[in-house]
Amino acid sequence: MYRALLVAQREFLENIRTKGFWLSILMMPIMLLLIGIVPILVSSTREPQIFTVIDKSGWLLPAVMLELNLNDVSQYLKAPVQDDRRTPLDKIKPSLASLDEQGLTTVARAVINPAALLPDTLPLEIRNFFRTHRLEISDWWVGLATADKAKLDPRISHNFFRFEDVDGRDVGVLNQAVQDNELFAYFVIGETPRDDSDGFRFVSNNLTDRELLNWFNRGATKVVRAERLKAENIENDIAEWINTPPDFESRQIGDGGEEEQVDSTDIVRQWAPVVFVYLLWISVLINTQMLLTNTIEEKSNKLVEVLLSSISPIVLMGGKIVGIALTGLTIIGSWLLMALAFFFFLPQLLGIELPFDITSVAVDPWFLGSFFVYFLLGYLLYAAILVGLGSVCNNLKEAQNLMLPVQLVQMLPILLMVPIGRDPNGTLAQVLSYIPPLTPFVMMNRAAGPPSGMEYLTTTLLLVVSIVAALWFAAKIFRIGILLTGKPPGFLQILRWLRTPVTDRTVMAINPEIPTVTQIESSHHER
Amino acid sequence: MGLEIHDVTKSFGDKLAVDHLSVSVPRGSIYGFLGPNGAGKTTTIRMVMSILFPDSGSIRLFDCEEAMTSKDRLGYLPEEKGLYKKMRAKELIAYFGRLKGMSRVNANEQAVKMLEQFGLGHVIDSRCDSLSKGMGQKVQIIATLLHKPDLVILDEPFSGLDPINVEVVRDIILQLKRSGKTVIFSTHIMEQAEQICDYLLLMNKGKKVLNGSLADVKQAASDTISLEYEGDGSTCLQNLPGVVRINDMGKAAELSLAHDADPQQILQQLVNQIIIRRFSVNTPSLHEIFVRAIGEAD
Repeated sequence: MYRALLVAQREFLENIRTKGFWLSILMMPIMLLLIGIVPILVSSTREPQIFTVIDKSGWLLPAVMLELNLNDVSQYLKAPVQDDRRTPLDKIKPSLASLDEQGLTTVARAVINPAALLPDTLPLEIRNFFRTHRLEISDWWVGLATADKAKLDPRISHNFFRFEDVDGRDVGVLNQAVQDNELFAYFVIGETPRDDSDGFRFVSNNLTDRELLNWFNRGATKVVRAERLKAENIENDIAEWINTPPDFESRQIGDGGEEEQVDSTDIVRQWAPVVFVYLLWISVLINTQMLLTNTIEEKSNKLVEVLLSSISPIVLMGGKIVGIALTGLTIIGSWLLMALAFFFFLPQLLGIELPFDITSVAVDPWFLGSFFVYFLLGYLLYAAILVGLGSVCNNLKEAQNLMLPVQLVQMLPILLMVPIGRDPNGTLAQVLSYIPPLTPFVMMNRAAGPPSGMEYLTTTLLLVVSIVAALWFAAKIFRIGILLTGKPPGFLQILRWLRTPVTDRTVMAINPEIPTVTQIESSHHER
Repeated sequence: MGLEIHDVTKSFGDKLAVDHLSVSVPRGSIYGFLGPNGAGKTTTIRMVMSILFPDSGSIRLFDCEEAMTSKDRLGYLPEEKGLYKKMRAKELIAYFGRLKGMSRVNANEQAVKMLEQFGLGHVIDSRCDSLSKGMGQKVQIIATLLHKPDLVILDEPFSGLDPINVEVVRDIILQLKRSGKTVIFSTHIMEQAEQICDYLLLMNKGKKVLNGSLADVKQAASDTISLEYEGDGSTCLQNLPGVVRINDMGKAAELSLAHDADPQQILQQLVNQIIIRRFSVNTPSLHEIFVRAIGEAD
């Protein structure tokens, strides 16, 4: 036992000195940083798309531009106060926050047009403020350069799209401009937008980026729809009511059997296991691969014989499995600490509030406990398979051929992640829980359900039995395979080894002078 | 007795690797296991180390029944040698020492001490993949000897070494003998065995061919006559009294003699028939003894 721990210790110390170990540890912060930084990088490096519009109707373009402008102003009204960029409206920002979309649009209209009316439904504070500062506000907005408008909030459209007036230029010139990438796209508005879409065109060489089209189309739709309602004498409110779909509110049944409201944390909770499954999958994959590589290295280095002159093959195998389990636990432990630091301290440091309580999900003892338990169980099962497999191979290339069926099974949890997450207690999930190579991943996947205690008990029992059996088989293969040189044995031949009893003694091994697999087998047979 | 192998047989399938072998290795001796490739030397050694187990027969170490329990008193340097590339020399040596039951502190202290003794003081903290082949081999030998084993088994310790390192390893073996250890080593190069062995075991195809002290083996072997001549030797070389084997090359010949043969009488008989240019009586080298013994066994 003591010597198995010595082997484990050596294995652990050697692994933590490898580049792979530190890369695995660094993978988590790098991933987190990428998630945090890449979107910011993408949006900050993006140039606004320049577009223009040929308006044959003569009235739609100004109306659409006004509509889009209103959206931008609403966006600004919602944005928090920036200390280094004071605006005349900062004083009433807190009361603006209480308004709904319609209220915001009304205020936005008043910002652009000093003559616009402010209805009584708006809070008194806002109406009073506008009564005294109306001109000051509109002067400020009209006088604001486009670039400065864009800076008021990252979501303001000027950050993405820039309109350029092209009065008098013909289509040929515009096409050339699109061809030369001077213009991202241009729109053509037909002569009768209120009646039909005749002559409406969107000309661009970029077929994948539809953002400009969608954004402009939303404004145009709103204007055209309002015009059509007016033409048919339909009240705006009625039209809106007709357009409002029935809304089902999501509820769930709480622990007490009562209906509860679903909030975003619940949805995150439901999907959190998927993240854990992915981490589980990566950790099991990395660590079992490490075990395979180390076994083959020891074998091809001819160190095995020296080791076996001091310890039995079973002690060697046990020590290796434990040592790499420790390496794996160190890696996932560090991941966990870093993830917690990221979600706990970084938001505090930057003063951001996350839209949901991620920490309560991330440190949920049920998820964490399941994760560690299933890591150990999953690792042990695959470790047993790979250590047995590694012991019969002389180099990694041979191992890769034998690995193929194992790898196919290992891919399944990733493919099943989403279907199981969607229906954690469905028939598919339940059935798959009883397939031992999938149990750790599927049960982790279902942790939000969660499955019944009975299911936990039976699946875990089945898994543990499989692990014991796998380790037993691995021991049988290992003690023969580890001294074997030459061509790796076939599947049937390995099956025959399994029939021979395991003792602390290496019953049989092979010697470079006399190595053929059939000879070993028949010798086993005779015993 | 240091090691007692009694009637041991080991087969791999239908191939008999070791066939009813019995050997006694006295304590404090250097014992050479010799024989051509595939003779069963490595299999025998692996059985002594309890890496393999005999099909029948028994192996007793230091007069204990169970060889398994004496593993910690053995030191084993296998024929194919490897190191953990990423480990430092001292760590590696101490690790193998601890696997043999040494305490951590003791193993570390001894490792440093022995590295210095072997003139490797400057590589104590070097990684094994930065060592030269000779240094690596020395590190392995230290790892084999660190726990002060009573019986040291070296499988082909000289293979792949340059002449200077052959000297070094030979000195180590002699040093072990002086400190009362028993050393078994295998080789297929007879000159090396002749220089340092007290006892010899010659194996061929799993069987014992010759066994005993170096002196006994050499004494038991009969002399040979080297001959250079002119004339027709084809008939007169036949039918010489006491000659058991003739290797005639036309102008020179090697004659192997029986124990009771009289070289004097043979010379007399020959001078009458051919012109003798050179005539010498030689005690055979170990090499010749073994080539002859294996030839006879075949």
